[in-house]
Amino acid sequence: MENKVKIYTTPTCHYCIQAKEYFTEKGIAFEAVDVLSDAEALKEMKSITGGARSVPVIAVNDAVIIGFDRDAVEKALKA
Amino acid sequence: MEVILYSTEECPFCQKARAFLSARDIGFREITSPPGSAVWNEMRKLTGSESLPQIVIGDRAIGGYADLVNLELTGKLEALLGAGVGKQQSSLYDVIIIGAGPAGLSAAIYTIRKMLKTLIISKDIGGQITWTSDVENYLGFSQVNAAELVTKFEDHVKKFNVEKVIGEEVSAVDLVGRRKRITTGDGKSYFGKTVIIATGGRHRPLNIPGERELLGKGVSYCSTCDAPLFRGADVAVVGGGNSALGAVVDLISIANRIYLVSLTALTGDPVYREKVLKSEKVEIFIEHQPTRVIGETMVEGLEFKSLITGELKAIAVEGVFVEIGIQPSTSLFLDILTTNEKGEILVDTECRTGLAGVFACGDVTTVPFKQVVVAVGEGSKAALSAYNYLMSQK
Repeated sequence: MENKVKIYTTPTCHYCIQAKEYFTEKGIAFEAVDVLSDAEALKEMKSITGGARSVPVIAVNDAVIIGFDRDAVEKALKA
Repeated sequence: MEVILYSTEECPFCQKARAFLSARDIGFREITSPPGSAVWNEMRKLTGSESLPQIVIGDRAIGGYADLVNLELTGKLEALLGAGVGKQQSSLYDVIIIGAGPAGLSAAIYTIRKMLKTLIISKDIGGQITWTSDVENYLGFSQVNAAELVTKFEDHVKKFNVEKVIGEEVSAVDLVGRRKRITTGDGKSYFGKTVIIATGGRHRPLNIPGERELLGKGVSYCSTCDAPLFRGADVAVVGGGNSALGAVVDLISIANRIYLVSLTALTGDPVYREKVLKSEKVEIFIEHQPTRVIGETMVEGLEFKSLITGELKAIAVEGVFVEIGIQPSTSLFLDILTTNEKGEILVDTECRTGLAGVFACGDVTTVPFKQVVVAVGEGSKAALSAYNYLMSQK
């Protein structure tokens, strides 16, 4: 099954860059959104996390991970 | 070279010898030799000893478990085993660097240019510098984005094709003896003649109720990452040093009102202090200690008390930025290396830890002033020290 990955970011967040690099290196397609310039994306990020105010938020299929937690991401990719 | 272990099932030192050999991938033949049996008599003749276990390498009886350990500690075991025994032989690194922040990456540049077989093991690249936005005090760069600087460091190391294991956390270390073993979370072991510890530090938490529960829900340790999400909000910043003042300066252009809560008088650079003190958006509580982050599912406020009067105060905020410095990542080393009361590894002027072949550099050490430029310098010193050590061993 193709994994559906979406990353919510801010431009100044290095962990967001690392997360994007991680998926690029693994050859996994992802959608990245900047929650500062995209109000809809911010609303979406808050709704799927129950109001998180921290980036990155990484949605892998149905799993939502706050922060770039490699272990959690890997688990979600395998699930 | 064949390795034979004369043993009995239950003897504790036999078990230790078995584990010792297995852990090092040293293949061995085990001969169960109950006292009085024919094989035991054979062993007695061969080794001149009646006690168990007995270890024989090739045609040489080396003795029991303690002798085995001793051989490794004195560096003679490898020579006895000869090349080709134990898969680890080919993957024995000259230097294993733990950590890939400015200190670790700088060390790598120096070791690789000394033609040392180098391996970097780290959970991520960049270390704490990735938590800041701009760096303005790194020589040669009047202002550089921290992420950009990390990328430059990384590219520099990539140019030399240094071997790296990134993404795995080190779970165990065995640093005594001439061959050091580093084990990562996925169960793999790496062996090195020297180890450079450059594990840096992590954000120091407040350890108050509500902090952990509301992490990501208003509590943040990375103002650079998360500050932009608090546009127009009232927020608190905890701390009085450079990182706290830097966070306040970032937030002045974003947030509505900023409460700065510090245990001590403000200690950050005058450049920051001036900006913070001048802003009408900032209200400062010095000599106050946070006691609780208020909120159920989201941060709603911060409670703190005066260190002078003991009076409790509460402010309504949506965000709490914790910027009270770092704690060294030394949990793996506390039992084997000397540390100070903060947990930092004690090093001499050449980054030596007191354990032969083990060096440390950067924020994980007692060296004062946690700055990128200091870490980079210390990294190069640790590398050159490791090089000198290796030369002295030849």
